Amino acid sequence: MAVSLRESLETVSDPRNLDSSVEEVFQMMLGVECHRDGLTIALEPESVTAVVGFGGLLSGACVFRTGGSAAMTIAAHMTGMEFTEIHDTVKGGIGEICNMLAGAWKGKVPELAANCGLSVPAVITGRDYNLHVQAPEFQLHHAYCFGDSAFDVTIVCDGIQ
Amino acid sequence: MHEIRALIVDDSSVMRKIVERSLRQAGLDALVVHEAGSGTEGLDLLKTKSVDLILSDINMPMMDGLEFLRQLRAQNLAPGVPVVMITTESSEEHVKQAIQCGAQGYIRKPFTAEQVKERVLPLLDAA
Repeated sequence: MAVSLRESLETVSDPRNLDSSVEEVFQMMLGVECHRDGLTIALEPESVTAVVGFGGLLSGACVFRTGGSAAMTIAAHMTGMEFTEIHDTVKGGIGEICNMLAGAWKGKVPELAANCGLSVPAVITGRDYNLHVQAPEFQLHHAYCFGDSAFDVTIVCDGIQ
Repeated sequence: MHEIRALIVDDSSVMRKIVERSLRQAGLDALVVHEAGSGTEGLDLLKTKSVDLILSDINMPMMDGLEFLRQLRAQNLAPGVPVVMITTESSEEHVKQAIQCGAQGYIRKPFTAEQVKERVLPLLDAA
């Protein structure tokens, strides 16, 4: 029998799945407690964005966006190294965080875990850019913080079977 | 514990560092780490180096971790060396596939050093 996610759309788009995925990844990989922040983060001029695509039963992307200094703080927690600039290790760390968030999020729904693949992460750095997706099936956009660092995570679903 | 030689295969240099750090936190202080950024690089490295443990990502460009495992067995490289897959893919199907390809262990990302210890040390003791 063909697997369909249409009937479980409510479960798939449950915002609590995203919050628990973020808490789990940050607790386990960085050893920090993250809190949902009701406000959209005020980004520093230099920002770092990682994107991991979903394919299969659900198509879309997981987007992780943070400021330059928060990106360095996150990478420092992950690796035990200190950073003073956004070099490749920092970008790689943010890509991995996005990869784990995407994996943890899809793992919350068994049909999605088994029938949705992940792309390798792409990381974008720069100033003054926006993400725009036309008419998504659903979109979750949450801001979080830990210590002085803030970031936001977006799950965009543009197709579901 | 005697010196352990580990091969870490992951396209992300950050993940390779994190895995190495977790192995040390798991108590493997006398650790010699070889790193490979792809399955192909890992296979090449195993033609010249002996290792006691292999940890590999699954989701990698060019040659994924499962193909790396198949090639490892097909070329009879590192026979008897335990292989642990470390990946974001967590469904039963993915675990089954990895075991069928010859993996002895499976760690889902995100992970803690404690989980690495629980999954890896028994394999080293048994080897």
